[in-house]
Amino acid sequence: MFRQLLTASAVIPRSFVRSSVIRQSSSAAANDEPLFDMENPFEKEKQQCLLCRLKITPDYKNVKLLSQFQSPYTGRIYGKHITGLCETQQKLVEAEIMKAQAAGLMATYLKEPCYLKDPKLFDTDNPIRPHRF
Amino acid sequence: MITYELLLLLRIMPKNELASVVKRSANAIFDKGGFLRKLENLGTRDMPYKTSAHGMVHRKASYFLMEFNAPPVYIDQLLDEYSRDVDIVRRRIYKKKEAEAFECTLHEDMLPPPYRKSVQKLIEEARKSDKPRYNYNTGLDYYPFQK
Ligand SMILES: [Zn+2]
Repeated sequence: MFRQLLTASAVIPRSFVRSSVIRQSSSAAANDEPLFDMENPFEKEKQQCLLCRLKITPDYKNVKLLSQFQSPYTGRIYGKHITGLCETQQKLVEAEIMKAQAAGLMATYLKEPCYLKDPKLFDTDNPIRPHRF
Repeated sequence: MITYELLLLLRIMPKNELASVVKRSANAIFDKGGFLRKLENLGTRDMPYKTSAHGMVHRKASYFLMEFNAPPVYIDQLLDEYSRDVDIVRRRIYKKKEAEAFECTLHEDMLPPPYRKSVQKLIEEARKSDKPRYNYNTGLDYYPFQK
């Protein structure tokens, strides 16, 4: 209790002095101050994933594209930490691959040999995010 | 009106027979009061996996794509009809959807986990199952007495 009273009485005059000083300096600097009403010039440009950048919508008939997201060893679909796609595109790609596989257009346990020499869209050994595998 | 896409895998047979099978499967749509928008031949090629249908093992098939409109109640009947056709190895009907516009959220997905919306939602969901704690109403953020 006693300490609280002490500190309170000690603070009041000091704060009063300080606020008056600040007010003086702010009024003096008001004219000088440059106006910053522009947007943050250092803001980073928003990243876009491969398919969004090229404006591609995955389709189940486009097996050549879909097979690029498939492992050549097991036929599994690579996760988004490897493919580098945004969540929506990854979901679309996965759905279209399932459709293609069900329709008999695309292999399930391997990548078809005719697509093995296609260019790589991403580095499977260096995922963009760490993962437990 | 929903546009459907029908993908047919037909067994290997001579050209005139193939044409009659395609005509038969298209007529099935017309009988249900539908109409064709597009008919495409996707070629004859090896299937990615062998398929056994109607007591035969098929490794090759002729691919046909039909875009059609038909009353949705008859889609099951159509599929049933095709499943009983001995010349059809595999058939799938998918809805043809217009792609919905969406924003790329890669910049959000690349943030550290606590800043991601999906992770925040998970945390919030986990908080819901927390046990309710008794509120002492002391105005203090700790328990002032010995426990
Ligand atoms: Zn994207």
